[in-house]
Amino acid sequence: MAKRLKAAERKASILAVAKVLFADRGYHGVSIDDIARRLGVSPAVLYRHFPSKEALYEAVLGDIACTRENYVDAILAGPSGFGDVLLRMTRVFVDSIAHDPDYLRMEMLAALEANPAAKQFFDNRWKSFTDYIEFSLVELPRERRAAHVNPKAASLMFQGMMREALYAKCIYRSEHYREFDLDTLVNRLVELFLRAIGYTPATEQNTEE
Amino acid sequence: MAQADQELDTRGLNCPIPILRAKKAINTLGGGQVLRVTATDPGSVKDFEAFCRQTGHELVSSGQNGSEFEFLIRKH
Repeated sequence: MAKRLKAAERKASILAVAKVLFADRGYHGVSIDDIARRLGVSPAVLYRHFPSKEALYEAVLGDIACTRENYVDAILAGPSGFGDVLLRMTRVFVDSIAHDPDYLRMEMLAALEANPAAKQFFDNRWKSFTDYIEFSLVELPRERRAAHVNPKAASLMFQGMMREALYAKCIYRSEHYREFDLDTLVNRLVELFLRAIGYTPATEQNTEE
Repeated sequence: MAQADQELDTRGLNCPIPILRAKKAINTLGGGQVLRVTATDPGSVKDFEAFCRQTGHELVSSGQNGSEFEFLIRKH
């Protein structure tokens, strides 16, 4: 018989088990009964905490460690130039994924399942990057600080590079990139991206953009 | 309610741009002066709370009017 847990502990244990199963089989591949069985409790115990599988899935997504507060800290933690801020934000995002790659698996499976709620959630996770790049690539060329490149194509390039780096290091654990740790790989890719858009950093430290 | 010494309109912009703009704007103010920020990003509420916690500026008020958010920040 399952050990009796306090409500908060039970909720946390449900979220932890649900996350592993959703990351392994996707939203449609997991039922409330599957999660209850894995926990050794009846489905009624799950429904006491979450009214539906959809609510449980959204709670798992909402439990993601990387918060906006982490981004604000990163934004304020050094020079305000585009390249510096982009690198610091990327590190926050990448660290959160490396800490818990199950969310990357959930993103992959959500894309295959065409789950609109999950797609919107994961799109929003990238939105800070895509919006920042697209906005900056309108302003920076006017100051001759970046080339005239298509902002949407550039933001898609950045997103594709980072997602592939995360897949290589956190999901496939590819031997091909074993000489890089994830931070080094991210640094190299951000450097390449900034070069590709013709970015010129401001000459003075702490110059605002 | 505190009067603003400077206005910053970040409507239509998403994180990190409002935070970067606020940082830049507040650098031009003197100690005790107040910046009013308007925003439309729902996440800006948490962002400006974190901004003030991190920078030591005072979040004098934080309000919502329909889909718009308004923050008064006093420079420390």
